[in-house]
Amino acid sequence: MYIDRKKITPDIARRAARTTTVVLILIFLGMVFVYWNIQVLRYDYFRFRALQNIIKTVELEAPRGLILDRNRQVLAENRIDFTLYLIRESVTDWERTLKIASFLTGKSRSEIEKIIAKYKGNPKSYLIPLKDHFPLASVAYVESRIDEMPEFRIDLKPGRSYPQLGFGSHILGYISEVSDKELQNQSASGYHMGDSTGISGMEKQYERYLRGEKGTQTIIKDNQENVQQELSRVRPKIGQTLVLTVDLNLQRYIEELFQDIQGAAAVIDLTDGGIMALVSKPAFDPSIFSEAITPEHWNELMTMPDPPLRNKFIQGIYSPGSVFKIVMALTALSEGIITPQTSFFCGGELLVYDHIFHCAKSSGHGWMNLQSAIEKSCNIYFYNLGKRLQINTIARYARLLGLGETSRIDLPNEAGGLVPTTQWKERVFRQKWYAGETISVAIGEGSLNVTPVQMLRMISTVALRGRKPTPHLLDHIEKEGTTVYRFPANFETVPIPHALFEEVIAGMYRVVNGEGTGRLARVETLEICGKTGTSQIISKDNPRFKALAKEKRFIPNSWFACFAPREHPRIALVLLIENGGDAGLIAAPMAGQILNRIFQQ
Amino acid sequence: MKDYFRFFDKTTFLILLVLAFGGVSLIYSAGYSGQQHHYLKQIFWVLFALVCFFIMFSIKLEPVFRHSYLILAAVCIALLIQLATGRWIAGTRAWLRFGFFQVQVSEFVKIPLALALAKFLTTFETITLSRLLKLAGLIGVPVLLIALQPDFGVSFILCSFFLVILFMKKTRPILLIMLVALTVSVSYLGWRSVLKPYQKARILSFINPQKYSKTSGYQLIQSKIAVGSGGLSGKGYLKGSQSRYQFLPTRHTDFIISVLGEEFGFIGISLLFFAYFILFYRQFRFRFTNDEEFYFIYLFNGLILFQFLVNVAMAIGLFPVLGITLPFVSYGGSSILSFFLGEAILFRIQINTYIQ
Repeated sequence: MYIDRKKITPDIARRAARTTTVVLILIFLGMVFVYWNIQVLRYDYFRFRALQNIIKTVELEAPRGLILDRNRQVLAENRIDFTLYLIRESVTDWERTLKIASFLTGKSRSEIEKIIAKYKGNPKSYLIPLKDHFPLASVAYVESRIDEMPEFRIDLKPGRSYPQLGFGSHILGYISEVSDKELQNQSASGYHMGDSTGISGMEKQYERYLRGEKGTQTIIKDNQENVQQELSRVRPKIGQTLVLTVDLNLQRYIEELFQDIQGAAAVIDLTDGGIMALVSKPAFDPSIFSEAITPEHWNELMTMPDPPLRNKFIQGIYSPGSVFKIVMALTALSEGIITPQTSFFCGGELLVYDHIFHCAKSSGHGWMNLQSAIEKSCNIYFYNLGKRLQINTIARYARLLGLGETSRIDLPNEAGGLVPTTQWKERVFRQKWYAGETISVAIGEGSLNVTPVQMLRMISTVALRGRKPTPHLLDHIEKEGTTVYRFPANFETVPIPHALFEEVIAGMYRVVNGEGTGRLARVETLEICGKTGTSQIISKDNPRFKALAKEKRFIPNSWFACFAPREHPRIALVLLIENGGDAGLIAAPMAGQILNRIFQQ
Repeated sequence: MKDYFRFFDKTTFLILLVLAFGGVSLIYSAGYSGQQHHYLKQIFWVLFALVCFFIMFSIKLEPVFRHSYLILAAVCIALLIQLATGRWIAGTRAWLRFGFFQVQVSEFVKIPLALALAKFLTTFETITLSRLLKLAGLIGVPVLLIALQPDFGVSFILCSFFLVILFMKKTRPILLIMLVALTVSVSYLGWRSVLKPYQKARILSFINPQKYSKTSGYQLIQSKIAVGSGGLSGKGYLKGSQSRYQFLPTRHTDFIISVLGEEFGFIGISLLFFAYFILFYRQFRFRFTNDEEFYFIYLFNGLILFQFLVNVAMAIGLFPVLGITLPFVSYGGSSILSFFLGEAILFRIQINTYIQ
């Protein structure tokens, strides 16, 4: 519309108005069309996007199941726990945020950055847990300043607590945040980053029962992730309750006896294979893992020379020492090498294969038969058996009695131990087995390696005259008050005649109640049968034996394995005291004390 | 007095009132969840603007046009003083504090500039190089001063005067080509040296909002979602989730139309467009007694139309986010006051043809 004259005439004005109207109509039609397109034609898409903005489904964590002892005393439970979260979306000044986060959590800047980096793949609105077990005072501090630091959020989360303060820690195990590796394996079973999972003990073994079912909550939220309204909620379901065979009072009693002692011990109920107490020292407090464990603390725990997280009862590997003589006796009897009356003379030492082997009593025991040899723990007698038996035969019986094989106790990461055979020597060392090695094995030394739980199983099998139990810590699982699973009592039958067990048991009875090595275990009212074992840490053949034997770490380990009563046995017990020295002086009296307590109640 | 009432364009005035008070109720909705009281301030400003409207309406126009260069020079000096002494508020010196209220001086350049340009346009027939340079100086100085504050929204809007002038006046083709070349090179230089990173980000995110959806494209996308999710009839007053749960940014100012679109749907938008159409249709046809008035009608209406278009296009992602309000509707006292003062001059031009 070029106005081609200097003066505006009514005609020009009319023409201008007309052109302008056309332009206006075109503009408005265009805008109406564009808005029609967005609001009417693409309505469904934008409606969805708008709902996506405000509707969010969040998971509600389920409290873990309880763990109770056989008298329903609480070993593990839940408590309300505060967690501090960070929302990256709301961060305006990272410098300031990191400073505050460091101040609130007590963690260093780089630690916090590391945590945040783990959630790189999650949306910016994701709640990153910075610190669990956030103290109440800090909760109040954050809540009152939430306007100044909207990037922080505090939420409730069920937390784990172990009211027994470290008692039974190796039974319970602990929980911790699920690791990246596990996340990759278990993503199908619904674990997310930041979830807790059992790492050891019952917490790991029965994780899938303890875990419970997560709930969900659908909410309307605003731009700052504040909950405006709840639309629906599926309550989380608490995990199932484990009732253990463990007797907390007995557990505490034994742990207190072990106060200054390193080693392991366990008591088994012979009627069903249920473990009544299980001790491994040093122990730990399982709550520290769900609380504020620092990387330094963790490293310290892992690199200690005697790491407290290791459950020695199932993972510790030791020479069985003289306790193994029970196996030798049963082997020789079964194979017909000896009769109960067969005697050997003990003069304090014996020359076998051009090598002098010693007895514990250098002056010698004189003539020994089976029962007296067990009673006095005479080495010479058993060297004679070793001379007459093949290593593979011994190994077969050892395995039958539960040594050198996993007990299949319901605890994760059990060690296997070792009962040597010729094939083993061939495979590992590419050497022939020397007959002289069998002589060492005959008194439970040499390359024999067992775990305390295997020893417990062996002594239980002897006590039950050939019925080998599967030890277990779980009694039953309860869901909403009803039992959903009961651990089956399981006994394997060992093909050794009943009468032969009676002979060995008679010897074991004399160990405690005669003039035997374990007589300090004696309890007046109770028929205890047992066997001591003092296993050398360095060989007597070592040229520096005399010098080294005085050092604490080379003092022999003390074993005591026993059961009671002699007829219809109810309880078996194994004690291992590391560097305890003479088993008869250390382990035996403790065993007597424990059994006395059990049977008095 | 009776004549004044008789010839006063009551229909157009009614539309202005509907827009302004409709705006207040949308601002109320925009601040509903945040307990913000912008709407109360807006009511005050609208009432104040109406008082100023009638004061301006009663002033004779002849001296206003006569002194229009002087008025423009005075406003430019005010801008300069503000540039030198102004306090930075929210990253700009565009605000001048008067006790309780803040005033955005740049808004008050619109009318003096339109007046001065209208006067200048009466002096020639064809745009030549020297006239083009004069025009460029006339528009360019205030635009530059405002851009330095910085307030890119208003300075961009003022450039619309150029478009209106080129639309009306005869121009030599060679000059048009030169103008295009100049625009391109100024834009390039501006991109390289003047624009701040956040402003560049806005423009980039306009080109590809999904890529910047978490940062600078956020406003664009959220506004589009608000408008689109309103559908045909909207979610209902105060029930827009985008607005209520604060996904919609600066919803009481730049994105007030998105609140309307979300809560009243396509029907609400159509009604708004209809009101604006009637407004423009009538105002472009306002009667006048001399050429200056004719040019002023076109310049000022062109400015409103341009600002309206940019704002409406911005809300649905057809234009970069520049901080441009919806005339008469958006929150902002200076904007409302300035538009009503301009309207007062238009109404005065219209009534002069009957009264004098």
